[in-house]
Amino acid sequence: MHELSIACEIFEQVKSTAAAHGATEVKHVTLQMGKLSHTNPEQLSFCFKVLAEGSIAENADLIVEMMPPTLECECGYNGALDEKQIRESSELKSELLAYVAAMKCPVCGKPAQIIGGRELIIKSIEIETENEN
Amino acid sequence: MLMHVIHMGHDVFKANDKIAGKNRKALDKHSVFSVNIMGAIGSGKTTLIEEAIKHLKEKYRIAVIAGDVIAEMDASRFRKLGVPTIPVNTGKECHLDAKLVEKALGEIDLHNTDLLILENVGNLICPVDFKLGEHLRVVVVSVTEGDDIILKHPMIFKTAELAVINKVDIAHAVDVDAEKMKDDILSLNPDVPVILTSKHDWESLETWISFIELGIAIAQEAQKK
Repeated sequence: MHELSIACEIFEQVKSTAAAHGATEVKHVTLQMGKLSHTNPEQLSFCFKVLAEGSIAENADLIVEMMPPTLECECGYNGALDEKQIRESSELKSELLAYVAAMKCPVCGKPAQIIGGRELIIKSIEIETENEN
Repeated sequence: MLMHVIHMGHDVFKANDKIAGKNRKALDKHSVFSVNIMGAIGSGKTTLIEEAIKHLKEKYRIAVIAGDVIAEMDASRFRKLGVPTIPVNTGKECHLDAKLVEKALGEIDLHNTDLLILENVGNLICPVDFKLGEHLRVVVVSVTEGDDIILKHPMIFKTAELAVINKVDIAHAVDVDAEKMKDDILSLNPDVPVILTSKHDWESLETWISFIELGIAIAQEAQKK
């Protein structure tokens, strides 16, 4: 359980960016979360809400976009996993495991390097400001 | 009232990775070889580290950063062996992160260190996302966790550079097939070396220790160039 410290980092970043842009309120915070990261979106939202109480982000909605893993292979392939492989390993009953099990290059079949899907990015915030004078 | 969308693109884990990169530079500068030992609670991480220290301390200068949620029990076990040990209490956190290691590095005489052992908090989930700046990522599990432990925690095995299955001497008693565990690890990460160990089997410990010694040799060789 490290959602609280991650939520702290997100909250601090959101707060300072909002302040730098003269926000009176933060309406939305959009995150991109890699499906291979060990972060739980519901717990993260809960922690963020608790931290944001009484701040300009108090009523902000946390929108989490889940990002699929991407691979890079020595054969030159660079892109998404083979969705068919994931469906075939669906008896594994764990999405994370299915993704990891499917991490072979869809072109040449060799084990490929993970290049995306582990990230947690604060993509954007939507803020409200006073009318410009 | 005006609405604006501000694009941020701030990667939360990258902040940690950046500090990890700094740690790595500091270690490389002093040609210190560092090992991040991750693993399940009670899998025998501390015991394996103790064995490595006992057999390497005459040859190499060793330091340890011992991560624990609370208490300093592991740290005191390493201190008994006469190696400088920095205990790091992570408090509510379930893993070591680069910042905690950076702080601890400030208390270690890197000039006079060949091997730095980072004992992570017992956990197969959280340490995966947090690089420390280490040269070698080791994951330790033991047969007592059950033979489905590997597939329940795929990412740590996928990203490890050495996997240890410990306490294999009692596999039969806990009705676990250590070879199945090994096969599961290889199915996730076909290139990772997997070693089976028991603290009662010196030969198996020798294999474990030789992996660390190999890393130290490579670090020292790199320094000469």
